[in-house]
Amino acid sequence: MSPIFSRWRSSLVVRVTGTIVIISILIISLLGTILYNRISTGIFDEKLHIAIADAQSTARSIQLQLQFAKYQDKATVKMVANEILAVPGATENNPAREVALFAFPGVKSTLIASGTSNLMLDTSIPKSLRLETRKSPSTKWERTTILYADGRTQEAIAVGHQITVSNFGRYEFYVVYGLSQQSSTVALFARSLSLAGGLLIILIGLVTWFVLRRLIGPVRDAARIAEELTAGDLDQRMDVRGSDEVARLGYAFNEMAVALKQQISRLENLSMLQQRFVSDVSHELRTPLTTIRMASQVIYGSKDDFDPSTARSAELLISQIDRFESLLVDLLEVSRFDAAAAVMETDSIDLVGLVRESIDYVHPSQERIINLIAPADEIMVDVDKRRIQRILRNLITNAIDHREGQAIDVTIRENETVVAIGVRDYGIGFSSKDRASLFDRFWRADPARARTRGGTGLGLSIAMEDAKLHQGTLEAWGQPKRGAHFVLTLPKFAGGVVDSHPISVVPRGEQLTEKEIGEL
Amino acid sequence: MTLIMVVDDDQDLAEMLGIVLTGDGYQVDLVNRGDEVMSAFALQNPDLVLLDVMLPGMDGVEVCKLIRTVSMVPIVMLTAKGDTQDVVAGLEAGADDYMVKPFNSSELLARLKVRLRRTGVETTTGLSIGNIKIDQIAHSIIRDGQNIPLTRLEFDLLVALAKEPGRVFSREALLSEVWGYRPATDTRLVNVHIQRLRSKVERDAENPEIILTVRGVGYKAGVLGSSE
Repeated sequence: MSPIFSRWRSSLVVRVTGTIVIISILIISLLGTILYNRISTGIFDEKLHIAIADAQSTARSIQLQLQFAKYQDKATVKMVANEILAVPGATENNPAREVALFAFPGVKSTLIASGTSNLMLDTSIPKSLRLETRKSPSTKWERTTILYADGRTQEAIAVGHQITVSNFGRYEFYVVYGLSQQSSTVALFARSLSLAGGLLIILIGLVTWFVLRRLIGPVRDAARIAEELTAGDLDQRMDVRGSDEVARLGYAFNEMAVALKQQISRLENLSMLQQRFVSDVSHELRTPLTTIRMASQVIYGSKDDFDPSTARSAELLISQIDRFESLLVDLLEVSRFDAAAAVMETDSIDLVGLVRESIDYVHPSQERIINLIAPADEIMVDVDKRRIQRILRNLITNAIDHREGQAIDVTIRENETVVAIGVRDYGIGFSSKDRASLFDRFWRADPARARTRGGTGLGLSIAMEDAKLHQGTLEAWGQPKRGAHFVLTLPKFAGGVVDSHPISVVPRGEQLTEKEIGEL
Repeated sequence: MTLIMVVDDDQDLAEMLGIVLTGDGYQVDLVNRGDEVMSAFALQNPDLVLLDVMLPGMDGVEVCKLIRTVSMVPIVMLTAKGDTQDVVAGLEAGADDYMVKPFNSSELLARLKVRLRRTGVETTTGLSIGNIKIDQIAHSIIRDGQNIPLTRLEFDLLVALAKEPGRVFSREALLSEVWGYRPATDTRLVNVHIQRLRSKVERDAENPEIILTVRGVGYKAGVLGSSE
């Protein structure tokens, strides 16, 4: 049931064909029934006319015969009566025509005994007809079934008459006409009608199905091809024939596919141009930068020979070249993200080790200001080491820059599928208004303050892109004067997703403000 | 005096490199075009080549391949792109090391020093790895009676592995041992050179018997006779 039902639901052809076939069945059955009734009634009425006419003339002739017979002797009367009842039996060509003669009940002086022809049983004449016939001398008729003594039966019309012969008494006289011929005609007609109706329904079904297939076919093709286009096969086109509405659909569809392909290749070209540009900028800027850097190092090497202000200039030159270079590196990285040209180089690495390494890199001194809280000595994950290292260094550097003399907590937590690293400081923090623009490029919470720190202003925005590239998340929480909390959550294995957050970005014991609840 | 050939189309950078290298006591030969390298190389026979990737006339990677057909001289590529593909292409063409622009002169000088370092003067003789004999004095290796030429870096790599047969070398350890100071993340150098070395010394580079990979850790020397 359910597969048929689902076919019905999913296929327009099945649904429409089914509906049309059902409606055809109803209409053809109705028409057939009406036609059948009309025709079978007509055939019956014709037979009835003939039967009544024949019965009336037969009754008259019998009346005459009996009236003549009453002047003869008893034996002759008997013979006449036998003759009346001696009717030839039904054959294939002659339908049954039986007669029955009954004396009125209570009439004593009857010369002729009651009787029927061809062993027809008395009960073949319905009681109601016999009552009617006895009531008045007019002709009566009724449908009945002839019952023979040997058990045969036949549909028939019985026509009744009164026959009154003075001195002999009154008789009921019936002629019963078999309807076998009419029945077989009607049956033949009914068979033909059902056959024709059946064929018509099948024909209607087939034609509907075929026409719909022709109409729906292109729609189906369009749907299939649209799916393939979506899947990325931009060379799929519809097969267009003729110039009708369906062909127009095909043309329009193909034009759309061509436009789509052009648009996509245009975007691809743009992306390629962008990548080319990035690589050209990289080459063109880096070569003079190398020369400048080497020259500055030569100058710096002999700064002891300079006067103090020139020597300091050499120092500034060196440090600003470093800054320029990191800005260049960050800008190129950002433009690689924009061109969707960033490539992951995934390796299996120990994340705890990487966090330790990053802490040591950012804060190499012996002074312990960073507490590392890790659940294990080693957590192996599939990540791009360079990118994750870059995120960690950025987060830890930010925490150190804004810690206001407080310690920093770096927490690692894991479950089966994801690992999270939280970097929490208890320093100046930031307002929830600032949180919205925290990951924007070149955004600074306090321009006057942050500018002096160096840094490119691109760190957090790159960190966010790196996290996204890993299918991970980077969240931030902050409260003015209560510190900040950054949580990086990564899938442990390549192709995984972040389905849970082992570290909540809102630190324990910190209340959510109404606004933050709204934003979450 | 040690001669370094500097191949760079940027006149200013080439001149600056010349100043720095001359200042450190090297002799410098400047070449500006890729297609002029081979003739200059034959004429000068330098001890080391500093080779820019983007060159007029002929691509640096192509030049590198050509030099390798005639010489095992140390080659250090200068690349403006840190992109993996360029770096790997250079290394596969036979470069020993690479410097990403912009680099420090001190870092460059340190690298060159390592590449020009004479190995094989240690007293250890009769060093072997797998079924390969290493002749440190003649600076060559012999496999099945055949002499196989190696670049100095490949030789250093093989010697490093052979000197401590039981030890599993991490990529980082090989980096500091063979290339001198490198950022520990740059393990592409090791991977590419191990592949190059295998293609020269192994019978079947797909099933190495001399330089074995220890999954997740690094590499170690094959046991003597294990391949017999």
